[in-house]
Amino acid sequence: MKKKNPLTLLVGGMLLVVFLALLFCFQVRTTEVAVVTTFGRYANSYTNAGLYFRAPLPIQKVYKFDKRLQSFERKYEQQFTRDKKSPILSVYVGWRIADPRRFLESFNGDLLKAEQALENVVRDAKNSVIGSHDFTDLISPNPDQVKFDVIEGEMRGAMAGTALSAYGIDIQMVGIKELGLPESLTGKVFERMKTEREKLVKKYQGEGNAEADRIRSEADLQRKKLVAEAENQAQKIYGEAEAEATKHYRVMQQDPELAVFLLSLRSLEGSLKDRSTLILDERTPPFNLLKGDTLTNLPTVRPAAGR
Amino acid sequence: MSAPTSGNLRPTGNPVPSDDASSQALSEALGSSLLIVRILSGILAAAAVFSCVFTVNPNEVAVVLRFGKVVGEGAEQIKRQGLHWAFPYPIDEIVRIPIGESQVIRSTKAWYAISPEDEAAGVTPPANDRLAPGVDGHVLTSDGNILHVRASLRYRISNPVAHIFQFANATNLLRSTLDNAIHWAAVRHTADDALYKKRVQFRDAIRLRVSDLIERQGLGVSLDTLDVEVAAPLFVKAYFDSVIAAEQDRSKKINEAQGEFDRVTREAAGEAKRTLDTGLALSNALMQAVSADAQFFSQQLPEYRNNPRLLRERLRIAAIGRVLTNATDKFFQPGRVEELRLNLSREPETRAPQPGR
Repeated sequence: MKKKNPLTLLVGGMLLVVFLALLFCFQVRTTEVAVVTTFGRYANSYTNAGLYFRAPLPIQKVYKFDKRLQSFERKYEQQFTRDKKSPILSVYVGWRIADPRRFLESFNGDLLKAEQALENVVRDAKNSVIGSHDFTDLISPNPDQVKFDVIEGEMRGAMAGTALSAYGIDIQMVGIKELGLPESLTGKVFERMKTEREKLVKKYQGEGNAEADRIRSEADLQRKKLVAEAENQAQKIYGEAEAEATKHYRVMQQDPELAVFLLSLRSLEGSLKDRSTLILDERTPPFNLLKGDTLTNLPTVRPAAGR
Repeated sequence: MSAPTSGNLRPTGNPVPSDDASSQALSEALGSSLLIVRILSGILAAAAVFSCVFTVNPNEVAVVLRFGKVVGEGAEQIKRQGLHWAFPYPIDEIVRIPIGESQVIRSTKAWYAISPEDEAAGVTPPANDRLAPGVDGHVLTSDGNILHVRASLRYRISNPVAHIFQFANATNLLRSTLDNAIHWAAVRHTADDALYKKRVQFRDAIRLRVSDLIERQGLGVSLDTLDVEVAAPLFVKAYFDSVIAAEQDRSKKINEAQGEFDRVTREAAGEAKRTLDTGLALSNALMQAVSADAQFFSQQLPEYRNNPRLLRERLRIAAIGRVLTNATDKFFQPGRVEELRLNLSREPETRAPQPGR
């Protein structure tokens, strides 16, 4: 008998193993859960990744579902708050399969059907939660009053029970995706925004003029104050000089007549120092010399005008 | 066995039966087939061996799933750049995850409707007096106003295992998270703050919210940059612009007044200094004059006491002489005159042109 090739045996054996594995085993990926049915009836669920045995078709059938977090967005629709305001709101939901058997029985593993079913759950939760809050819990001038997280948590709580018990779905997160106003209200808000902007324009114009006037007045006040202070100071200095001068004038008390004469002469010279016009006649010294006058009969100088 | 006879053309050996020939042919055929099978087996075996080796590129990481389960624990789950080994499929499955390049998601849910063509051409859509829900996105601000906001977020995958194996569509969820953060931040800012006064804080608030949600959701990404664009609704944009213009006008007026303030006070300070200097100069002049007068008085007093009349006349004539010397115009009118007219405001004298010039 001819000797068998070991490589051939090995490959043959491997092919046999693969064939048997395909018949009797199945894998559950780390991203999956699996449900096994025996003759159509639920047999077991597998939520952990790994290799598992099964009876071959048609005895057992394996259903696999994606167990990763699915995100689902609910459409934008109008809600009513407790205080009768009507924002429009859309939410996104993060969910995953928690009970594969229930999920299989509910939707036959169809994710689209699951999301259609979730729509109703989400709508109910949104209506009940938003309806129990005032509009100021969504939008408020005081940021501390805004309750986004609370509202999202309440919506999740409202969905979680139904989704799990009815569909085997675990709602893991709910978030507000959009928050706005209905079309008719946006027009009204625009009108208000226009009015507010017009008021602001007037306010800024008024503020600009008022502030500029205030600054100019302040400047004028400062100028007057500085100049007045300087004048006072100058007068004070001059007063002190006058007081000091008085001491020198005491010398003149020895002969007040001479003192007055000397001061008068100085004053006369000072007053006719610049740009003066003099009209003189023959009596004015030294022109009286032209007439042959002596010093005994001298007239005084007559200043005519100063320009 | 008898020897073959000469002249006999028939084969001398035992005649081969036709069944044996067929068996031999079959045997040869089988031998050839087995050879092919062996070659194929060898190729398959070699392929199996080579398929056990894989490389991970610098901009990616890989995770090996053995029978669907992640191989390794913690950091060992991630196969980084280099050569690695794994069993062939279906025992092991290699999942490659791009991590090097940053990825971008954009949120335009709260932006007004505009086609990509118009956007590229810089064409602004017509301003409607109201916004259609689901078409023209918007946000509500804390003061009840409406704005348009869009954002662009760059991120990297920081935890590949969580990012790929925990989320069916992580990108979608991240976009929803960004949408959420935009509205979350908008209701905490006034329109003016989000648009002008606190733009950076507004962007930071969005980023903070996104980071917080990513952390809570375990999305396994780290944020790079966030660009946020805020715009007033097109219908009221002109009014917002007019407010900006009014604000700028206000600032201009105030700045001008402030400049005037500076100029006036600077000039006043100069004037005050001049006044003070003048006062000081006058006082000095007074002191000098008085001192000179007193000294002159003391010098003249003995002579005055000796001959007062002479001194007085001498001093007076000397003074008249100086006055006459300094006077601009001097008129000498001998004898009596009935009427004298003077043109005090006459034109200044001009020199007559010199001949030859």
